[in-house]
Amino acid sequence: MDRKVGIVGVGMSKFGRRNDVTVRELSWEAVKEAFEDSGLTQKDIQLTVIGSTAYRGTEIYPAPPVSEYCGLVGKSPLRVEAACATGSSAVFTAVNAIASGMVDIALVIGVDKMTEVDTATSLAIGGRGGNYYWEFHMYGTTFPTYYALYATRHMSLFGTTEEDMALAAVKAHKYASYNEKAHFRNKVTVEDVLKSRVISWPIKLLDSSPISDGAAAAILASEEKIRELKIDTPVWVRAMGYGSDTSYIAARGEWTGLNAAREAAYMAYKVSGYTPHDIEYATVHDCFTIAEIMAYEDLGFVEKGKGTALLREGQTEKDGKVAVNLFGGLKAKGHPLGATGVAMVYEITKQLREEAGPVQHSFKKYVALSHNVGGTGHYAFVGVYSR
Amino acid sequence: MVMDGIPLVMKYTFPAEDLYRPFWEGLKRGEVLGTRCKRCNTLYFPPQRDCPKCMGSDMEWVGVGKSGELMTYSIVEQKPQGFENYDKYTIGIVRTEKGVNLMCWVVGTPKVGAKVSLSSDGHRVLCEVKA
Ligand SMILES: [Zn+2]
Repeated sequence: MDRKVGIVGVGMSKFGRRNDVTVRELSWEAVKEAFEDSGLTQKDIQLTVIGSTAYRGTEIYPAPPVSEYCGLVGKSPLRVEAACATGSSAVFTAVNAIASGMVDIALVIGVDKMTEVDTATSLAIGGRGGNYYWEFHMYGTTFPTYYALYATRHMSLFGTTEEDMALAAVKAHKYASYNEKAHFRNKVTVEDVLKSRVISWPIKLLDSSPISDGAAAAILASEEKIRELKIDTPVWVRAMGYGSDTSYIAARGEWTGLNAAREAAYMAYKVSGYTPHDIEYATVHDCFTIAEIMAYEDLGFVEKGKGTALLREGQTEKDGKVAVNLFGGLKAKGHPLGATGVAMVYEITKQLREEAGPVQHSFKKYVALSHNVGGTGHYAFVGVYSR
Repeated sequence: MVMDGIPLVMKYTFPAEDLYRPFWEGLKRGEVLGTRCKRCNTLYFPPQRDCPKCMGSDMEWVGVGKSGELMTYSIVEQKPQGFENYDKYTIGIVRTEKGVNLMCWVVGTPKVGAKVSLSSDGHRVLCEVKA
């Protein structure tokens, strides 16, 4: 990257079924917090990037009403979309705008209000997450089906079991119980997960992230600007890698890991100079429990087929070798598509600044990673950060 | 606490019928067809009218195989809009004997690695697990 980019302020709304707000008030909860956190105001912002999928809300073009509500008219609300990786694509856009020298300070808002349509409609939109005609139209895929296809093959090749996958849900709910902003704060057991209703076998209700409303915001700035503003706690973005794959899931030829994520990770490690062994904290895209296990493997934390072992040994718990999703993950914190990738930046910033309270991980090198996957593995963004 | 918004009813028309007529005619004969670029020989499934590899559009319809191996599957219990009237169904990915990977519904007891033969119910590709 031409210029070094740092995160100078972050905010996040309460996630969940937010019947009390529209997408505008919801966004402001996060934006206000990011302004207060950074000490900056609207007049400091040169570019606003809004990540929102918006298909499940009344406001299907949310960028103008959100930017107006937040006092950002004239600050260029640029909207970006990459399905479930929308939030990271917004961060990526802002990072590049600053790194290239186009602007010095940018605000990223990730937001989605997903509970404004009923569940059946939501499933029908998610089922179109791949290739409409050759998948959804002919076969009635649902979004969980796509990840279930990966789970079945992973189970068959590596002996992964439904119990193993349930452990990821148990861990997510355990940590979400400490997070006041999480969608779910109840703990669950392996039994609870195994007994929950089958959605698309082997994926059950409690293997799945919820349909959530939520917003997150981050303010990023160039190194020069950070020095000028005398901000002494920036979190540096060391790299943002990206990868992609076919829309038609069958064409990928391999269904035990995500090629897009491996490509994104390779790029992020190469640009940042760090290796998987340097990563002490990670937010991974656990939209379904199998996705967390595959993420450990795709990111190189463990070799292929050994993801379950890492989970079983507790290596991804707080103070483990690489702590993962201590704010509850997509699984329990919630997964408002546009907000998720920005909420990962929020979480990493809190952790690296040692402001994570009861879930504060102990760092030695202060290096963290974000892993955000879009669609059925169509897009992936992997970020590497340090203090 | 919440009020009804104005419903957004989206009705779609799209040109798949003409574009993919040979595919559907092939299915009636029990054959699954993709397209192959006559210039560079690249085989496409789903079928494509255009070849981005060599920029050509001179394609022919060719069979992608009649049998194969079940690579993975999932049993859909919570069905989306448009599929409410079906019993639970099993979606699979099959690798044909010609090395083409495609989505289908599975008939019979699914198992990763099972040998299957391809057929159709007139609406989609099916794979039947061989006993
Ligand atoms: Zn060609």
